[in-house]
Amino acid sequence: MTTLDEGLDPGLEHGEPPVTTTDEQRARGVTPSSLLPTLPGRTYVDPAWFAAECEEIFERDWFCAVREDDLPNAGSFRTVTVGRESVLLTRTRRGEVRAFLNVCRHRGARICTEDAGEKRRNFQCPYHAWTYDFEGKLVAAPNLTSMPDVDRVEFGLKRVAVHSWLGYVWVSLAPLAGEEPPSFADTVEADLAERLGSLEPLAAYDVGSLKVGRRITYDVAANWKLIVENFMECYHCATIHPELTEVLPEFADGLAAQYYVGHGAEFGEEVAGFTVDGTPGFDPLPGMTDDQDRRYYAVTVRPQVFVNLVPDHVIWHRMYPMGPDRTVVECDWLYAPGVVEAATGDDADPAMAARLDASVELFHRVNAQDFEACERCQPAMGSRLYADGGVLVPSEHHIEAFHAWVRDRVEGQS
Amino acid sequence: MHHLCALDDVVPGEGLRVTTTSPPVAVFRTDDDEVYVVDDTCTHQDASLADGYLEGCWVECPLHESRFDLRTGAVDQPPAKRGVRTHAAQVVDGQVWAELSTDAPNLPPGVAGSTAVASGVTA
Repeated sequence: MTTLDEGLDPGLEHGEPPVTTTDEQRARGVTPSSLLPTLPGRTYVDPAWFAAECEEIFERDWFCAVREDDLPNAGSFRTVTVGRESVLLTRTRRGEVRAFLNVCRHRGARICTEDAGEKRRNFQCPYHAWTYDFEGKLVAAPNLTSMPDVDRVEFGLKRVAVHSWLGYVWVSLAPLAGEEPPSFADTVEADLAERLGSLEPLAAYDVGSLKVGRRITYDVAANWKLIVENFMECYHCATIHPELTEVLPEFADGLAAQYYVGHGAEFGEEVAGFTVDGTPGFDPLPGMTDDQDRRYYAVTVRPQVFVNLVPDHVIWHRMYPMGPDRTVVECDWLYAPGVVEAATGDDADPAMAARLDASVELFHRVNAQDFEACERCQPAMGSRLYADGGVLVPSEHHIEAFHAWVRDRVEGQS
Repeated sequence: MHHLCALDDVVPGEGLRVTTTSPPVAVFRTDDDEVYVVDDTCTHQDASLADGYLEGCWVECPLHESRFDLRTGAVDQPPAKRGVRTHAAQVVDGQVWAELSTDAPNLPPGVAGSTAVASGVTA
């Protein structure tokens, strides 16, 4: 970890980008500097700060909850943690996706305690058997007929907003605060468009049509912001990602794909595919353009999604912040339906299965390497040394925009 | 005979609770357009069988999955232990009527009921 030192030569010459110095740094006599401050340490450990992030960010913004394919049938369900709430997602008999707070309207018991499953008839609270249909309506309860004043819709499960895009279901809990959900186009779509230059490059991947070839869930003992910051920079790549840097040699320069608009990191000349050992992956997705072929694009979609685009698959991370020091990350490897069938179906081809393994293994290692690094930082976030935070080197300066966004949302100022 | 409802009031494949009798009854209309009338209250706990799930000529209580044969009232599995009382149904000119049973109803604890007609038309 880099720390500023009072003895730093103030006359040190620095190159691009322009130097910026905070008041706090000036107070310590450090000026000028190539280094920008991070957020203060307490924002990574303080339960009150985390609660404010939940209230202002995760319980308001569009939050990527599940893959639509996770809800194949009427009554299929998943439960996910969104901010401080448990959200129950299901599919109605008419085939529509619904999301509810996973809280019984009667005495507050959790309706579903499983992460996933399929209900035959309804959702029934295991405490007093208040029973709700897949639209959330209260359909039965002991003695309900003798309480005709109890409106079955009003006392149905509390609905939250849903929006499906690219094969994922986003939810917004803004209605619980009496607010309209934010514009999906101005938030989720805008983050993708800003990084890719527009939404047009997404068409080549047709993400909504892809199938999950592998899903790995990581339980990470680190604050969600450490994971975002890690994903946004590549200063660490040459140190902790040997396999990735072999495939994407330009990552050794420390400038992440996310540093530039519309830039995809090019595969090395000797590299056949985006696999752990550079062996061939699968055929490029049908819409792949020459510009996008043999390149890796990475996008952070606030607040909790990372999208990785390579010619033959898409790697899609969803974070579920569980507390100041714990984040569950669900990572999907998405491939063309034919690839998933050939590599994982009942009559799987062993050669295709091996290719899928080599394909998944690359970013699984990257994930494990990144999350280990984040877990290495988390315990120090409460250190007195880190009270004012750490520093960002020039190739990390773009992370300051993320920090400003968090501060703006939590404190209402940037 | 007691008039319960119009046949069109009952969606095929579902049930309708009728409260002009005491205790209330449920009119079920199967997908094959058969009509059955039974006491609406589950014999295990106070729940409306009309809110349950009709499959063939069986209805499953919405609360605890005991199922009742609408032809005989017999129950298939606990927690309900007693059958539900059945009433002879007739559809005449699009109207559903029933000959209300004079047997004692099998009501769950805490639910009052008699075989007397609370209101409505009798013939």
